[in-house]
Amino acid sequence: MTATLLPQAPAAERTGPARTFSAVLALALLEGRRLLLSPPVLAALAAFTAWTVWRTPGVEDGHPALQDVDRATQGGPLLVALAVMLSVNHAVLRSKYRDTERHFSVLALGPGARTAAHALSLLPVALVTAVGVLAHFGYAALLPDAVGHGSPAELAVGPLTVLLFGAFGVLLARVVRSVAAAPIALVLLFLLFVAGALPVGDDERGTRWLLPIVSEPGPVIFPSDLLGRPAAWHALYLAGLTLVLGTLAVVRAGARGPLALGGLAVAVALAVTGGVLQTGTLPADVRAARERATLTPEKVQSCVRHTGTTYCAYPEWIPRTDRWAQVVDRIREASGVTASDPALVVRQRIDARFGPAADTDPEATGTPHQVTVGTSWGGNRVPEFAADVAGVLVAGDETKAGRICDGRAVTVMWLALSALPDPVGSLRDVRLDDSDTGSALVLSQTAPHSMTEAQTEVVRDLLDRPRAQVATRVKAHWTELTAPGITAAEAAGLLGAPKPQGDDKCED
Amino acid sequence: MRGLNGPRPGADRAPANGAPVNGAPVNGATAPRTAPRPARGPGRASSPPSVFASVRALAPPVLRALPWRPLAATGLLGPLLAAVPRLSDDPPTPWLAVNLLRGAILLYALGLAFLLDDPARHTTAAVPTGRVLRTGLRLALALPVTVLWWTATLLAMPAEHRPPAGAITLEAAAVCALAAAGAVSALRLGQEAAPGRQVAVGVLLLAVLGPWFLPERWALFVTPDDPLWTAAHDRWAGLLAASVLTAAVWLREPGARLRIRCGTSGPSRTS
Repeated sequence: MTATLLPQAPAAERTGPARTFSAVLALALLEGRRLLLSPPVLAALAAFTAWTVWRTPGVEDGHPALQDVDRATQGGPLLVALAVMLSVNHAVLRSKYRDTERHFSVLALGPGARTAAHALSLLPVALVTAVGVLAHFGYAALLPDAVGHGSPAELAVGPLTVLLFGAFGVLLARVVRSVAAAPIALVLLFLLFVAGALPVGDDERGTRWLLPIVSEPGPVIFPSDLLGRPAAWHALYLAGLTLVLGTLAVVRAGARGPLALGGLAVAVALAVTGGVLQTGTLPADVRAARERATLTPEKVQSCVRHTGTTYCAYPEWIPRTDRWAQVVDRIREASGVTASDPALVVRQRIDARFGPAADTDPEATGTPHQVTVGTSWGGNRVPEFAADVAGVLVAGDETKAGRICDGRAVTVMWLALSALPDPVGSLRDVRLDDSDTGSALVLSQTAPHSMTEAQTEVVRDLLDRPRAQVATRVKAHWTELTAPGITAAEAAGLLGAPKPQGDDKCED
Repeated sequence: MRGLNGPRPGADRAPANGAPVNGAPVNGATAPRTAPRPARGPGRASSPPSVFASVRALAPPVLRALPWRPLAATGLLGPLLAAVPRLSDDPPTPWLAVNLLRGAILLYALGLAFLLDDPARHTTAAVPTGRVLRTGLRLALALPVTVLWWTATLLAMPAEHRPPAGAITLEAAAVCALAAAGAVSALRLGQEAAPGRQVAVGVLLLAVLGPWFLPERWALFVTPDDPLWTAAHDRWAGLLAASVLTAAVWLREPGARLRIRCGTSGPSRTS
């Protein structure tokens, strides 16, 4: 009789929550890697990188305000978000299309846990997006003339959009088990959120904050404390919404445990809190701060002095006063203004009362010897500022400078343009129709004035002559040149230019 | 599972120089009961069914097997999108009007991308009915639906806001042809039974990246008040022609050569 020794059957192992968690994590890592390497996500990341690299060097003419740059990082990740939505949707449906669902059903990891792993697999690609966003912002922050402060909540919107759309892709796969659903949903989302087919109103707060990305259409850069954007609440709203979609997908997949349901409740609470608080009315203190900064800027600004000129700016712009001083000093040294004359004051002013969406320039001030400068710099802003400075030096104040309608415009424009590196190019930039002959309107922050055909002729001739030679004549004849009523021909005679042939009739 | 038992990539059909075993073509669903069965004598190769007979036999099962759901969903969304301006009191900007129509076109093109998905592809690969006929029939059956969808979409947009109908129809034709050409190419170049998703993703990528990265001299997505509108539609016509040509080329059997007919047709030579 032979006895057969059977090995004892192994005791059934219990899989506790810890084991499930590590299995979910392992699956999430694998799926995260697959998601990062899926063709749509790779293409979107490549396009995002190309777009960022191509656009970033020109950001705000190379003189960025960081409270605007942080918002500019939000658009690019949307492309990645849409691609992630497609790819993660397909990843969740893969087991259905490869017919491996029945193999998975014998595993300990249920559909709920697998869905959770798919939701977690969104984190690596969100991290990659965050790196891209930080690189974009970091580049702008390291530019020598960067001013202002970025907001971490605004910077978080890009990666959060990726997570939000990804979570939507996971939920969609759990609700509509067809691969055709995600591309269709993508086009609809794109039309609703990006192309602006969704009527959300254009109030400063209100329902437009329910969209994932909220941009400010206005061109004026605001100091950070006047922006009044509920960026932190919006980030909380996006995070909450992402969690709602993710946990809904897990619950829908069959996990009805206390963890999933509790998570859903917390997520709903977060999303509702963020959503309600961000859409509330604009706080009164922001309104008050905007009024104060617009009407009585001297109460909030600090001033510095450079070589006889005072520069007053909102605190974030104090480092930029050096750039203004370079232009002002060049203009002053060629003008007949002496050190004994009253000091010039360059004051930064914006009209912040109507919010960042409005495009309102501050009105010209009648305060003597005060020049207004805006919050942007670089590009056309430089010749505009130069023309304003020269106008105030010649006419006395901004209101009078805006009414210049005689030969003084020759002195103003020559002073302004000859101080700049490319005078004729700047002349075209600063004129409304980009011309360098004939009559035209000269753009300005506060006081646009017109130039006649004859004045343009004289200025073009003077710009071709050596600057020092013309400057000597300007200083010698300063009183005559700045006297109201002088004609272009008289100014040309005083400055040594040939008599102009063109029309010298002022348009207004 | 792909590539396990298939012939060489893209070859859907065994070389058809032998006599067909059965004249009844099969596609996706069960063979039709009314399949024409040509009379044949013992030891003689049967003559293949005429194209007309094949089409008549194929049409009902193909009609049933077509993936109608994506097409129906996207086709219904088109008129809805185009009708959005009717909801609002303010007239839409020309930009919004033309881009709503473009959104509707893109959606329908995504539905078309799934048109050639056929779960039974590997089963039907061996039938003697050629690829041109089987795939062409699917495309042809979708054509009246497409015309219906586009008419409804165009009429859904209020006439006073509608962009020039001829030009926007050209865009619709070009995008639909592009999606169809993508599906045909995917079928020809790959072994996947349902390549629709890849095609849809490709069409989407083109649609999203095109407006971003196309330089101005190749601009396609312009508004009707843009001076580039006419030039852009020359390019749309070029895109349509290229798509149709691509679809026609990839529709043919792999390895098929142009043959010069020399008086007698195939079957009589073999006898």
